[in-house]
Amino acid sequence: MAKKGMSRRQFMKAGLLTAAAAALGPGVLKPTGLWAAETKIKGPVKVGYQTVMSGTLAGYGEFHKMGAQMAVEEINAAGGIGGVKLEMELRDSTLKAPDAIQNARYFVDSWGADFLAGVDSSGQALALAPVMAELDRVLMVTHAATEKLTEEHVFKNGVRQVFRMVTPTYQDGYAAAIVAKDLPIKTWATISPKYEYGFTCWEMFKSTLAALRPDVTFTAESWAPFGTTDFRSHINTIMDAKPEGLYSVEWAGELITMVKQGQQAGLFKQVKEVMLPVGAAMDVLEGLGQELPDNIWVSGRYYFLYPTNQANNDWVGRFHKRWQHYPAYVSEAAYSTMYAFKKAVEAAGSKDTKAVIGALEGMSLDTPAGTRVFRKEDHQAMYDVPWGLTKSDPKYPFKIMGKQVVVPALACFARPPFDGPASKPPFKS
Amino acid sequence: MLESIVHVCLAGLSGGMFIWLVASGLTLIFGVLGVLNFAHGSFYMLGAYLCFSVLRALGQNFWWGLLLGPLVVAAVGYLVERFFLRRVYGLELPYQLLLTFAFVLLFDDLVKILWGAGSLGAPGAPGLTDSVPILGRQFPVYNLFVIAVGPLVAVGLWALLEKTWAGRIIRASSSDREMASALGVKVPALFTAVFVFGSWLGALGGGLAVPYLGLLTPGMGEQVIIEAFVVAVIGGLGSLKGAFLGALLIGLLSAFGTRFLPAFDMFLTFILMAGVLLWRPQGFFGEKR
Repeated sequence: MAKKGMSRRQFMKAGLLTAAAAALGPGVLKPTGLWAAETKIKGPVKVGYQTVMSGTLAGYGEFHKMGAQMAVEEINAAGGIGGVKLEMELRDSTLKAPDAIQNARYFVDSWGADFLAGVDSSGQALALAPVMAELDRVLMVTHAATEKLTEEHVFKNGVRQVFRMVTPTYQDGYAAAIVAKDLPIKTWATISPKYEYGFTCWEMFKSTLAALRPDVTFTAESWAPFGTTDFRSHINTIMDAKPEGLYSVEWAGELITMVKQGQQAGLFKQVKEVMLPVGAAMDVLEGLGQELPDNIWVSGRYYFLYPTNQANNDWVGRFHKRWQHYPAYVSEAAYSTMYAFKKAVEAAGSKDTKAVIGALEGMSLDTPAGTRVFRKEDHQAMYDVPWGLTKSDPKYPFKIMGKQVVVPALACFARPPFDGPASKPPFKS
Repeated sequence: MLESIVHVCLAGLSGGMFIWLVASGLTLIFGVLGVLNFAHGSFYMLGAYLCFSVLRALGQNFWWGLLLGPLVVAAVGYLVERFFLRRVYGLELPYQLLLTFAFVLLFDDLVKILWGAGSLGAPGAPGLTDSVPILGRQFPVYNLFVIAVGPLVAVGLWALLEKTWAGRIIRASSSDREMASALGVKVPALFTAVFVFGSWLGALGGGLAVPYLGLLTPGMGEQVIIEAFVVAVIGGLGSLKGAFLGALLIGLLSAFGTRFLPAFDMFLTFILMAGVLLWRPQGFFGEKR
């Protein structure tokens, strides 16, 4: 009798586990079959995560946190990393480079971090790279987009400790140009941030589009300093130049303000095509709601309805259930980062930096955004994010992508002299 | 070109009036109490968030938000002055700065706790959401409204200070605290009243910012307070007339700079401020201290 009861209980346990595994979805419970490595990994795996948690962009920090925390909860509920617990500590990066370095040193020297992750600003990422070589810990960048991080620090200077989970400026500049080449207009202008990120993206967009479409000209540029709240003079600059197309890498709250003020000034009635490389960010979609015009091109570093497969749908569902929010691209990147560490540590069988770098290089990882491959040369994660035309949908209180165009990462992400002719797609750098 | 000049001018005027609304309360408090209130930007932010909450609670009616939001902030201002600031009037300036800065940090976190860290999209003001064509280009009616409200507040403040009995007492106390007190003016109560009124003005600016920016973020107070300080310095600390003209100048200068001298747009305001500090350190209308 007793035996029978026991076995039934065990049967129930097994059933529950299976159900839990099914609920977690295939992306999560991909058996890596590396339980043998379990014994080598000592103590918890500690991840020091830094993101902006104060000031006007504090909302981004919240979005990072949602993704990262959810992954930590899931991974620990499913047995941790190679049998040991995953721990995370979160610190405010404040967007200032000295604070980013201080955080990194605190994480490694005082808290005992095995891995670092996060970082929103490109300036911070560039300042951190040499520090990571010195601290000898892997840093997974989940937001900063400058191509110089991976091209110069990783590829040229050989800082092997730095990896990037999200699409870099290539997506905002090159992919945009490849979409723009098929649009029936000949003049483009920009309102973009008056710092490195804005200048680089516009340069990439211009050089590629000019090579693909010699008949196109670029008629005006207006640069808005960080913290701009009044875009009316910038909008007048553009309306005076009368371009057919507007390209803008304004992002977050400033993009929301620019679109609202552009609407009021009739900007979107005057231009025929609009391209917003980070317009599909969740804070922008939600912040603008129905005020985002229809039929403008938007993209992001992850878009919550792409890819349209079971794994992504399940993840978005679980995320919404956990946080009553749709995932932002930084949430997806933070979430996937934890799984990248899990997979690499289990493959390496240890937390040792060198071994983990070896495992991460060329590693392919199933994530909500699709399969990512960490390119060996520059440690950039290769995955596709669509460009799409905005439209209303009764299911959502904000605009979503209607018609979509996917420019594969393989078609526009290569740069430096990574071997072979494929390293030089249509663009000229 | 002409339409661009007119529209940039309008943008500069509305931007300038905005800074004026914030700078007026800051200047008034400094002029009467002699306190540089860092937390004024927080009152602006609280005004915006409370206006937003009221308008959401009362069926998207912005006007109720604008009426009630700043009143709540005025009550907060009362508590800050009555129970904290009053204790440091006798101390040196750094203590006052430290105290008001502490409130900046407190209110920043309070906003994050109550409303979340993310940005909130705000609706327009009922009746003023349209744009009107001016020389063939659209300009939002709401901005015209802000351009009108600025001078109204200026005239109201002038009338209050120059034409009423209360204004005379305020001016008397600000020029000689001890004498006013000896003549029977209840200076502490008067200071409280002025501080409450100044907080209300800051919050009014915040409330008016809700449809103007269309977006609320936890750091919004810090951005605006810097411009308000620049304006107050240029105009002369404590001078309302100076703050009004300084705000107009800064608004127009930055709008025209952005459109016609884009390479220097960030410098212009600070060059102006540096120039004023060099040639007339007390500001346009400031008194030599």
